[in-house]
Amino acid sequence: MTGVADILEWARQQVNARVPKADLDQRDPDYIRDRLPGVWMLASLYFRADVRGLDRIPAHGPVLLVGNHSGGNVPPDTFVFTLAFCSYFGVERPFYQLAHNLVAIYPALGWLRKFGTVAASPDNARLALESGAAVLVYPGGDYEVCRPSWQRHVVDLGGRNGFVRLAREVAVPIVPVASVGGQETALFLGRGEWLARVLMLDKVLRLKSVPISLALPWGLNITDWLGHIPLPAKIVIEVQEPIEVTDDDQAVYDEVVASLQAGVDRLAAERRFPVIG
Amino acid sequence: MRVERRITLNADRDTVWKVLGDPTCYPSLLPHLQRWETINQGPPRVGSRYTVLWKIGSIPVGGIVEVVELDKARDLAWINITGVTQRGRFRLRDAGPGRTVVTFRLAYHSDGGLLGLIADRVAAHQVGRSLSESLKNLQRLVEP
Repeated sequence: MTGVADILEWARQQVNARVPKADLDQRDPDYIRDRLPGVWMLASLYFRADVRGLDRIPAHGPVLLVGNHSGGNVPPDTFVFTLAFCSYFGVERPFYQLAHNLVAIYPALGWLRKFGTVAASPDNARLALESGAAVLVYPGGDYEVCRPSWQRHVVDLGGRNGFVRLAREVAVPIVPVASVGGQETALFLGRGEWLARVLMLDKVLRLKSVPISLALPWGLNITDWLGHIPLPAKIVIEVQEPIEVTDDDQAVYDEVVASLQAGVDRLAAERRFPVIG
Repeated sequence: MRVERRITLNADRDTVWKVLGDPTCYPSLLPHLQRWETINQGPPRVGSRYTVLWKIGSIPVGGIVEVVELDKARDLAWINITGVTQRGRFRLRDAGPGRTVVTFRLAYHSDGGLLGLIADRVAAHQVGRSLSESLKNLQRLVEP
């Protein structure tokens, strides 16, 4: 067993060594400007996206945007919101998105860094916030994004409340960002947490789940590591009122989850059909 | 991409200008407006800046605009200095006694090469509709 533990530790170190420390200078406003028209068409024509309440985000200064996450490894809510934020405040306003380590080191996704995507870690988030930027984080991450489709309107951050401590220490407000539709881009059957444990991916890659879904073009899709073609589900995002951070982390966490759930419930009530919206 | 809409109003140019020359009227004039903020206080003049965002497609599009031409009761032109490259104009001309032709013109250009060109073309229909609605709102505001 010692040998297995050593191998796992070595593999974990190898992955961690490849996770780049956030280089905020990699964000390139001109690159984003060039990409916005394509993303706008995808959001407007394919996902028929609707983004509301951007005026609730403080117009200046650092802010921690906390969202519920959906859509497996191809989460449309992230890029729709990034598009909306960059359009509303201009590409000139620094804006960073925290992503799972594997997203940050995946060679084919290197261009995401130009959009401001950095590996999700407290150090990277703190660096971005202290530079005065807006930071988007999905605390539920790989856990929430793989929930079954029949729980699509359930906000489940998995108790991950590190973002509250971060906001308190950096003294920035939290703005919840609720979204619906992402979990209808495929039929997600389960998180496959047992499979992650069996394959020891939870220890090596920090992956708590190995999602199982029915998705294009694969049919039965296990892991979703190669992504999938999302169904054209209508994506609706609503920014909620800012939440001031107090010393009681659990109370703030509960308030953020309640705000997100209320927003999701409101948006879900407007939907008549899955996918179509 | 250039989109233009025109309307003939039963009001003289000075009456129309009272609306078009007053920045506080624009939130009730422009449809689908998501953000309207005056950056420079005081009456509009060449160099005045405003933050203007319209909802086009799924998201608000626009940015900071700067007035570049202001000829009272004749022309008002602006350019975008952030956001999508854009040039707009209200053009007022006499159309007989007590009547005015108002032309609302918007020329815009997205970055991004071919995708930008396609996006401009895709957006043109909605932009045109927004210009038409703006002129109808103007008609409601100035005609007795």
